[in-house]
Amino acid sequence: MSRLEAKKPSFCRSEPLTSERVRATLSVLKGIVTSCYGPAGRLKQLHNGLGGSVCTTSQSAALLANLPVTHPILKILTTSVQNHVSCFSDGGLFTAILCCNLVENVQRLGLTPTTVIKLNKQLLSLCTSYLKSEACGCRIPVNFSSTQILLCLVRSILTSKPACMLTTKEIDHISTLILRAFLLIIPENAQDHIILGKSIIVPLKRQRVIDSTVLPGILIEISEVQLMKILPIKKSDSFKVALFCVSLSGDLSDTGEGNVVVSYGVSLENAVLDQLLNLGRQLVSDHVDLVLCQKVIHPSLKQFLRTHHVIAVDRVGVAVMEPLSKVTGTRPIGSLDSISPSSYGSVKDLCTAKFGFKHFFHIIPNEATVCSLLLCNRNDTAWDELKLTCQTALHALQLTIKEPCVLLGGGCTETHLAAYIRHKTRSEPEGILRDDGCTQTELQLITEAFCSALESLAGSLEHDGGEVLTDGKYGHFWSVQADSPSVVNWPDVLSRCGCGLYSSQEELSWSFLRSARPPFVPQTCLPCEATDSAGNLTLDCFTAKLSGLQVAVETANLILDLSYVIEDKN
Amino acid sequence: MAAAGSVRAALQVAEVLETVVSCCLGPEGRQVLCTKPTGEVLLSRDGGRLLKALHLEHPIARMMVACVSSHIRKTGDGAKTFIIFLCHLLRELHAITDKEKDSFFSENIQTHGRHWKNCCQWKFISQALLTFQTQILDYVMDHYLSRHFLSIFSSSTKERPLCRSSLEMLLGAYFCGRVGRNNHNFVSQLMCDYFFKCTACESGFEEVLELVDDCFVELKVGVTGLPVSDSRIIAGLVLPRDFSVYCPADGDIRIVIVIETIQPPFSTFGSEFILNSEAQFQTSQFWITERTKAIMKYLQKQNVKLLLSTVKQPDLVIYCAGLNGISVVECLSSEELSLIQRVTGLSPFVLPQASSQYELSNTAMVKFCKPFILRSKRYVHLGLISTCSFTPHCIVLCGPVQGLVEQHQDALHGAFKMLRQLFKDLDLNYVTQASDQNCTSSPLIYKNSRESNDLPEIVNGSIQRPYQDTVVKNKDELAKTQTYLKAYSNLVVPSVELETNILCSTPTVTLTATYQTDATLRCFSPNKARIMDDHEPFIESNSANSTTENTRREISYENLQVTKNARKGSILPVRDKSLEMCTSQSYCFSSVPAGCVLPVGGNFEILLHYYLLNYAKKCRQSEETMVSMIIANALLGVPKILYKSKKGNYSFPQIYIRALHALQTNQPMISNQTGLESVAGKYRLLTSVLQCLTNILTIDLVINIKRQPQEIYDQDSEEEL
Repeated sequence: MSRLEAKKPSFCRSEPLTSERVRATLSVLKGIVTSCYGPAGRLKQLHNGLGGSVCTTSQSAALLANLPVTHPILKILTTSVQNHVSCFSDGGLFTAILCCNLVENVQRLGLTPTTVIKLNKQLLSLCTSYLKSEACGCRIPVNFSSTQILLCLVRSILTSKPACMLTTKEIDHISTLILRAFLLIIPENAQDHIILGKSIIVPLKRQRVIDSTVLPGILIEISEVQLMKILPIKKSDSFKVALFCVSLSGDLSDTGEGNVVVSYGVSLENAVLDQLLNLGRQLVSDHVDLVLCQKVIHPSLKQFLRTHHVIAVDRVGVAVMEPLSKVTGTRPIGSLDSISPSSYGSVKDLCTAKFGFKHFFHIIPNEATVCSLLLCNRNDTAWDELKLTCQTALHALQLTIKEPCVLLGGGCTETHLAAYIRHKTRSEPEGILRDDGCTQTELQLITEAFCSALESLAGSLEHDGGEVLTDGKYGHFWSVQADSPSVVNWPDVLSRCGCGLYSSQEELSWSFLRSARPPFVPQTCLPCEATDSAGNLTLDCFTAKLSGLQVAVETANLILDLSYVIEDKN
Repeated sequence: MAAAGSVRAALQVAEVLETVVSCCLGPEGRQVLCTKPTGEVLLSRDGGRLLKALHLEHPIARMMVACVSSHIRKTGDGAKTFIIFLCHLLRELHAITDKEKDSFFSENIQTHGRHWKNCCQWKFISQALLTFQTQILDYVMDHYLSRHFLSIFSSSTKERPLCRSSLEMLLGAYFCGRVGRNNHNFVSQLMCDYFFKCTACESGFEEVLELVDDCFVELKVGVTGLPVSDSRIIAGLVLPRDFSVYCPADGDIRIVIVIETIQPPFSTFGSEFILNSEAQFQTSQFWITERTKAIMKYLQKQNVKLLLSTVKQPDLVIYCAGLNGISVVECLSSEELSLIQRVTGLSPFVLPQASSQYELSNTAMVKFCKPFILRSKRYVHLGLISTCSFTPHCIVLCGPVQGLVEQHQDALHGAFKMLRQLFKDLDLNYVTQASDQNCTSSPLIYKNSRESNDLPEIVNGSIQRPYQDTVVKNKDELAKTQTYLKAYSNLVVPSVELETNILCSTPTVTLTATYQTDATLRCFSPNKARIMDDHEPFIESNSANSTTENTRREISYENLQVTKNARKGSILPVRDKSLEMCTSQSYCFSSVPAGCVLPVGGNFEILLHYYLLNYAKKCRQSEETMVSMIIANALLGVPKILYKSKKGNYSFPQIYIRALHALQTNQPMISNQTGLESVAGKYRLLTSVLQCLTNILTIDLVINIKRQPQEIYDQDSEEEL
């Protein structure tokens, strides 16, 4: 029964950002996301007091999905980060922290929202055009003839997720696997535009990480009982496959809207079974070797097929239907009578395999772009985290193929970008202030807020109480151990910058990130040999980071523009 | 609750609403964040949506919100201005009645003091408002305001080609008040591009607007998680679902629409299927399969490559379609279906009864049909070939959060509504009071002006230049004749006057002789000065051929054509009346032509304010004067808020004084704003507000009922009662 009730009046608040409560909640959220950021980030344990599993994570995707947010402003922030993550997988924490920093910094200034929004937008377009330009000093073009940079990218992503609980050796192993899985899904004979295949992640929990592996083709998990029935597989170089999307269980299909009256003594089950056995006969006479069914196969039909040495695997599920039809070249069959011969496909080999305690039926295609990544980890939460990370890495690789370049990681892009903007607004403010009616002072204030938001984002990579520095030549990010002596010769305590491109042996004028520094021209144009020689760089996905930057600034603008909040209390 | 309280209460309510909406008004307006009961967040600057989201309890507030929403539904614009204007009107009324009360107490009895007492007083005012709305407003619009109008069309020919830059200005101003500050330029550019891409030929834009307005939901695709700048326009139609089976095909593709399952069902509704044997069951199943195959084969033979279905098709149909190389899209919504039908004129495919050989009639062609991936979600992309003037295009709207995407989507939809209203003529009709002495002569003159009106039709608008020369030459003479016309018949619409005069200069020579006396009488009237400056733009347009001046001329032509018919209709009653000896009333029908615009920034309000004050000065009846004054003052509320944050030369008093000065000295008003807004929209808004106000004023008691809403009782409980 639907009840019509008078709606309760909504709750209306003006100037939401000025309220102390909102600021407090924003800073709590900022604290949460900041402490998760980077390889040294702290883990968060989310558990529901009413039950359910405990989630240990430091990833924005898992964190924000489980975090209950009540205030509408925080909701805007978290949903925009979540939407970004669902588009690009990577860079969620980056977006969230930057957005929080921007809102906080700009609010302190007390300028009118119009000015702030205009100038923020100008600074953003300055950033994006610089990052997209050839002269950009924090962008490395990807050379696909070597796997070095791609491997660095994957390793950086794995390193930045401490909740996966991987050792250095395991990180090396998994990053090689991910890269191999990615290379397997690239079609060999690519035309003008590439259609990537799919890598299916197969769970194998409570095993050693080192046992993880990548196999070409598709793995279908089967029970041991089923496995006994399948054995043995005859030797052949090609197997004919039929793939059914319709149920072969013998249930009556939809009988229409009217009534069906069945006379006494007429058994429809027998009639349908007859039909199924006829189908079986046709399959046998067509020399099909393997029958796969999305739904259930009737035991009698299974029995019939087995006696004729046809392997039948049922309940494969809708998820693998598309990759299956792709690797085998079959057309999913939706009919019980007369199958067109063109619907059959073929595979190169079939075998059964046992990984850990699970049995799999392994379909090896002739040439295909589908692979299975068997992923192991010690416990459930760590496995979930690792799976998310692998998906992120695979997605980042895909994005890198579209836009073949990567950004320097480890905080170097942020500090470099901040140095560039400072220099740009100081040297040519006219170009930015063209027709906006804003003053130079306002521009300087906003620039300072914007740059310090970027720098404190980089600074939040350091969690162990160490000092963060930047150099006066490249504008890169350097961090010092907490327990280093106070009066120091910088090159002694520093080793390499955040991304690992430069070493401290060069004479660079270091200064604290938080202290005031004279603006300088950061060296643009990376030297080619630098990118080739440096073996172990920390890198970030270009597309994800660029979009994260845009989304963060847009969301911050949106939040700063709010004058009222109307809450519907119904 | 007493009636006097109702204005005060209404004012209080309106003031609260005003503070909420005024923060989002105009280019400096800010955003409001609304949460839905489901927990979703929505960003909005749309007044209508905000008012609805407030879920107000106060009865008068609810009435106001209802008025606003019905106005919005029609016009798609002006909710915030509605509230602000209403609030100012109430404030003015309140102030006046307070004053009246004081005088009532001090001087005890005044002549019309009794009118202004409580209920009667409100009823009286509301009647005066109604008279104002039906008579004075239209008159002022037509006689004074219309000469300031600009047009969105770039020339006056029948096709009325749209001027892109004016449309951009119009949309720019619209989106300034609707979407966030950093996005309005982008969104208005997007909308402009979309509109011109969708309009195949210049003339069919009304049809396009109608279709886009009706089917906007189907023509946009919202994507979250991407920056707003990734929004774009895509040729063809994008359906938010994947192909059930996709077979790549090249070239032009034939499509059919089905609205039932192709596979025949076992039994239909209301029938019984009796199975007597297993063999019978198997045969019927076999028949079903064969029949489905036959239909699909038939479709393939007819070269159909794509099947659009409103229902879910069984596996067998999908399988057969795949075998025959036919792509299938299932589960189209009825809105999508109707959009496709409107664009292509395609009707659903009727399943052939027997295995027929005849040609398939209900098919359409598409240029392409392919999967389309947006944010790793798959869509169906159809290149429909249109049979109407709408060229199908889709807008992909991106934004970091759903709330922002929805805001842009609503704003775009509203903009299409607004444009649709803009391209309609707005009828004005009012009663003019002809003065006694010339009412006998009015039919004569009237005929005369009618004759002259026929002239432009013969000569047509093709040669406009020569006239202007005449204008300059016969300036003095024309000015005179103008006055006569004006004096004898108030029927002539000012914008037409000029055209008429140019052509009827010969006939009026004789007229001058006949009605010399009257003419001299009227020469002192302020009309003269006005007419003189009426010529100014024309003289200017000779030298500087700016678009503004051009459009001005077009409006006049437009007016001419429209008013002509109306005048023919009105000639008879006028003549009758004059024979009956001057009842001195004549009905006038006129219109604001389609596409009339004024610059933004309170231009309309200040103009109307000025002319209403002028009118009030001339008025004889006191209540007319009063109502005009009230409305004139209330009109300034909107520009006051718009210029609130501006300082120095651009502050409101400065702007206001400059505008008044310009109007008094007959100089063109200079606006520092670049946008345009629709005159018809403003006019409709004004009338809606006045109607709402009369509604509020006529209420004398608000009765509070403490009971659950009626609909809460279901059938049973009602029976029990």
